[in-house]
Amino acid sequence: MSILEYNGAAIIGMAGKDCVGIASDNRLGIQYQTVAMDFKKIFKMNDRLFVGLAGLATDVQTLDQLLRFRMSLYELREEREMTPRVFTNLLSNMLYEKRFGPYFCEPIIAGLDEKGAPHLATMDLIGAQALAKDFVVAGTCEGNLYGMCETLWKPDMDKEVLFETLAQALLASVDRDALSGWGGVVHIITKEGVISRELKGRQD
Amino acid sequence: MDTVFGISYDGGVVLATDQVNARSILMYQQNLDKIAELSSHSAMGVSGPNCDLVNFSEYISKNLKLYELSNDGAKLSTHAQANFCRGELAKALRKGPFQVNVILGGYDEKAPTGGSLYVMDYLGSCTKAKFGAQGYASNFCLSIMDRDWGEGMDEDMAVKLVEKCIRELEMRFLINQKNFIIKVIDKEGVRTLKYGADPADN
Amino acid sequence: MFGSSLVIGDDILDIGSHKFDAGRTDQRAIGSGAMIPARLALGEPGQFDVPDVPDPAHFCRNNFASACGNGDQGQSVKFAKGTTTLAFKFDGGIIVSVDSRSTMGAYIASGTVKKVIEINPFLLGTMAGGAADCSFWERNLGTQCRMYELRNKKRITVAAASKLLANTMNSYRGYGLSMGTMITGWDGTGPQLYYVDNDGTRLHGRYFSVGSGSTYAYGVLDTYYRTDLTVDEAIDLGKRAIYHACHRDAMSGSINNLYHVTRDGWVKIHAIDVNDMHYEYLEEKRNAMASS
Repeated sequence: MSILEYNGAAIIGMAGKDCVGIASDNRLGIQYQTVAMDFKKIFKMNDRLFVGLAGLATDVQTLDQLLRFRMSLYELREEREMTPRVFTNLLSNMLYEKRFGPYFCEPIIAGLDEKGAPHLATMDLIGAQALAKDFVVAGTCEGNLYGMCETLWKPDMDKEVLFETLAQALLASVDRDALSGWGGVVHIITKEGVISRELKGRQD
Repeated sequence: MDTVFGISYDGGVVLATDQVNARSILMYQQNLDKIAELSSHSAMGVSGPNCDLVNFSEYISKNLKLYELSNDGAKLSTHAQANFCRGELAKALRKGPFQVNVILGGYDEKAPTGGSLYVMDYLGSCTKAKFGAQGYASNFCLSIMDRDWGEGMDEDMAVKLVEKCIRELEMRFLINQKNFIIKVIDKEGVRTLKYGADPADN
Repeated sequence: MFGSSLVIGDDILDIGSHKFDAGRTDQRAIGSGAMIPARLALGEPGQFDVPDVPDPAHFCRNNFASACGNGDQGQSVKFAKGTTTLAFKFDGGIIVSVDSRSTMGAYIASGTVKKVIEINPFLLGTMAGGAADCSFWERNLGTQCRMYELRNKKRITVAAASKLLANTMNSYRGYGLSMGTMITGWDGTGPQLYYVDNDGTRLHGRYFSVGSGSTYAYGVLDTYYRTDLTVDEAIDLGKRAIYHACHRDAMSGSINNLYHVTRDGWVKIHAIDVNDMHYEYLEEKRNAMASS
């Protein structure tokens, strides 16, 4: 079993019209044993920027702490919030710094840029960026997530449709994956604010 | 091989571990205390090879003590202690890890039910839990805890649940863990409730 | 299917095959062969092609993953596995309770697998390990049991039926078959429960659980099992044990199928979604805590 599949995860980032959403499951497992059903995998970096980390749970938590530290430092020094583009480069560089002993995490970045347009990015565990206009996925059921997103995604969804699409894509995907699920969470980022909702998922 | 249990209840937490100190096919001792007391109101049950177990629990408890001494006796919350623990495990991971799985419990005045419990593995993944089990025992006992744990339990019920889990291990677990030590952490602090063999008796 | 299997890709296509030869000195005697002529019984060892190598058992073991014992050793072909099944005797008969998930690695291949195999109206078998191995050999057991009935004009005992299966397993020892099953039924000696697996192990007992989630089920079963359970209590215990296993074990889940074996044969009691049980028990626990 790959080290990226040790704990299990499923994360989606998806763009709508003037809004962007990110969703994850709740499971923390040790291989096939489920240890917790309320594990946090999506982290708020600022009001318009969220990052989801799929992969080894210890590195998920370490990276979250490191990113929070770097974000705060940036905000104190620059007296402004970091844009998603800068953040993506920052994270990419942080990951490549550990090229020969990487963090076993695949991040999903979802945010609104200066103009309020969606910014979606993902990268591999050593920081190779991939930007997308529609959706990005990561986790142990990547294949399932791609399949669901390909069928459900439509251009210019409003925030409610985006929420519904994210929720259905996530829940349907994790129901075919043994290593992720046990409920989920969705955040929709709009210019007006963030809408966060818990998803009730299958508990087996 | 080792077994660690943690159960939170209304007003505190119960920690329990087996007392076996074994290596390879040899049993050295049966009166080990694997629950390290970290501060007046927190402790952690540690499983793993004896050297890592001792080194890690001493390293954590002494550093927390150092923090208290250098900050006018200010104590870290259980949450902060757990995060410190996790951080050290994660740091050690990439330069020769501590082979220890931990359940850390503590009592805080400010916490809603007083007690709080954190489960972490040797990699450093840490999660807050109502109850937890480490080692092979988790395969047998997590289902019993799922079945019986409930909101609003008192100390007595929590200890009974631990004992139920121990009985299950006696019945099903290949490895004979004769003795268990059970500690309770509540507003009075950490106290040893019972043990199979006295850890001080050497 | 063998695209990625460079290790055996050249071998498995080229080595050819020969029929399983019962007369070969390095192979064991065939247990069921004593009862039925080889050419009559489907799946009799003589009917199978085995790899044309000096040690076919060794070849199977190293190239096809088995779900039990030292299972995954990097074999190229892996079979569906991951299960929780249980069965227990009590004063009101026998309860057989299983989940219905089938996984291939982390992928959930199916959530509607029938893991209780209805061998005949008085015999039930459960399925854990390789799905194909279980269904084939228990179907095979069914025909053997029917042959016994026709020859002897009486129903086969559970003891004898389970022994037939154990003998078959024994004759294929080391070939990488994967099967952990419980054979239950009611015969002249009352309710009977046997555990049979691919090592040829055959155990008689009061209760068993088999599969990746079995330890979780044992936790609940050991704590709450009594022989004097009422039928309703027994059904709830069987249901709960499967639920708790499905909740914690990623490889078990979906539907709980539960059977009750009585003097008059088996009855299917229910097929309930494990997820619905979760909320039912949550509610139950909340009420219990509120009232105490």
